[in-house]
Amino acid sequence: MKPFKEQNYYEVLEISPDAVPLEIRRAFKRSFTLYQDDSLASYSFFSEEERQDILSRIEQAYLTLINPEARTAYDQSLIAAGLLDEEKTFRDKTKGPIAIYDFQKTRMDGPVPSKRSGELKSRAEHSGMIRDLLTRDTLSGSDLQKIRTALEVPLEAIAEKTNIRIDILRAIETENMELFPPRVYLKGFLRSYIRCLALDERVVADAYLKKLGIP
Amino acid sequence: MERSVTQIWPIGGGKGGTGKSFFTGSLGFLLAKQGYRTLLIDVDLGAANLHTIVGVPNPPRSLSDFINKRVATLDDTVVSTPLPNLFFISGAMNNLDMANLGHEQKMKVLKGVAKLSYDYILLDLGAGTAFNTIDFFMISKTGIFVTTPEPTSIENIYRLIRSVYFRKIHHVLKTYDFKALADEAERRNPRAVVSNPDLLLHVMSELDPEKGALLQRELGSFHFKLALNQLRKQDSQDIGALICKIIEKHLALRMQHIGNISFDDRVHNAVCKRMPFLDLYPYTQTALDLRECCRCLLPEKEAHLPLQGVAD
Repeated sequence: MKPFKEQNYYEVLEISPDAVPLEIRRAFKRSFTLYQDDSLASYSFFSEEERQDILSRIEQAYLTLINPEARTAYDQSLIAAGLLDEEKTFRDKTKGPIAIYDFQKTRMDGPVPSKRSGELKSRAEHSGMIRDLLTRDTLSGSDLQKIRTALEVPLEAIAEKTNIRIDILRAIETENMELFPPRVYLKGFLRSYIRCLALDERVVADAYLKKLGIP
Repeated sequence: MERSVTQIWPIGGGKGGTGKSFFTGSLGFLLAKQGYRTLLIDVDLGAANLHTIVGVPNPPRSLSDFINKRVATLDDTVVSTPLPNLFFISGAMNNLDMANLGHEQKMKVLKGVAKLSYDYILLDLGAGTAFNTIDFFMISKTGIFVTTPEPTSIENIYRLIRSVYFRKIHHVLKTYDFKALADEAERRNPRAVVSNPDLLLHVMSELDPEKGALLQRELGSFHFKLALNQLRKQDSQDIGALICKIIEKHLALRMQHIGNISFDDRVHNAVCKRMPFLDLYPYTQTALDLRECCRCLLPEKEAHLPLQGVAD
């Protein structure tokens, strides 16, 4: 075995060159405790100066290996000196976190999934008919339907996205008040519907309710 | 049982009261029970009491008979014990000055031990790091250290192992001037000479690579064992492994931890009754630990072999 002073950082911490950060941290804690002043196992073995030397070397080893950039640089220096095989160095094989919201939670049958709101907004701005409708004080169900058709958002897509039954959405567009849900729900459903079209939900909902005479 | 090579295990530990004699006695007991012809030699000259542990309170012959030429060979001082296969050479001296063997006398004993033919010879060493103790310890490459998990005891383990280290350097440097080497090393690094024999070795390798390499080889051939005795429940279980690690890492000597032996108040009872602890309390944790240590010490292939010996 090599004298302590000539050992490389991996040997100092007694870990393999492909150790993961958790192992490095554990090894550091283990060695650091072993060479402490109050450690029973190393009692009287070292002079105070030797102990300090060893502790600072252990700390230096830890700080180098735990820092990915410093570690890579150190590995490179070992490889250049022929002391380490590049194959054996640590490579971060861990996967990044999985973004669960990237998943489509429901399967879409229709060819058009919900359109991005930015795209919808720009389309609404470029359509003279929509702009014209939106300036009105009141909006009927058929107006909403016109806007929706102009934006090319199928009713099924809205039903999928909002989990509102399609016959209720249809009833909103046809102003079939018999099928309307209770008032509190109606307002919520209406807003969800309008949100899917990327319109100002408060203004549009108010205009629609005003037309139907619902306060 | 036929064996060609005698295994010699010196058992030391620096500090007194760590259980060297108890460990030696128990190990001898286990080996003899397994059918090995085992000889225990008490070389704790001046404070011998292994005879009490093995149940021979008044040994008719002792090492001093050999040293004072009352008997011709060391073999003639061997005393049998109540246990078959277990033999014993007492260190109890009637001559008051025997604690300090002269060089000639020591060499005579060492040569005598080498001539003995047994399966295992265990040497129970005294406390301290006198040259005599160290030379007996270095009679074989497989010395066993016994320590307790206390700073005082561990301190002495390190002191003993360093003494062994220095003694080895001395041996290799017989024709050389050890003092000159030490001075040179001290000149280069004023603070570390005593506590760091490694440095001495380093300096030596530079001054005389041939001798340095020889010494490296000699030191590398040691295969020490460490038994941690009197471990209480609240003590850390891995102290032994850590001590071995430090020795391997900083002295480059091989040292193997062979096990922890639990503390048991009943050891005191057994000693007071002058009966083997393993006979009196065979089913205690301590007895279990001792057996485990013994198993660790035996070479793998033999550990399971002499079952026929257990029967008698």
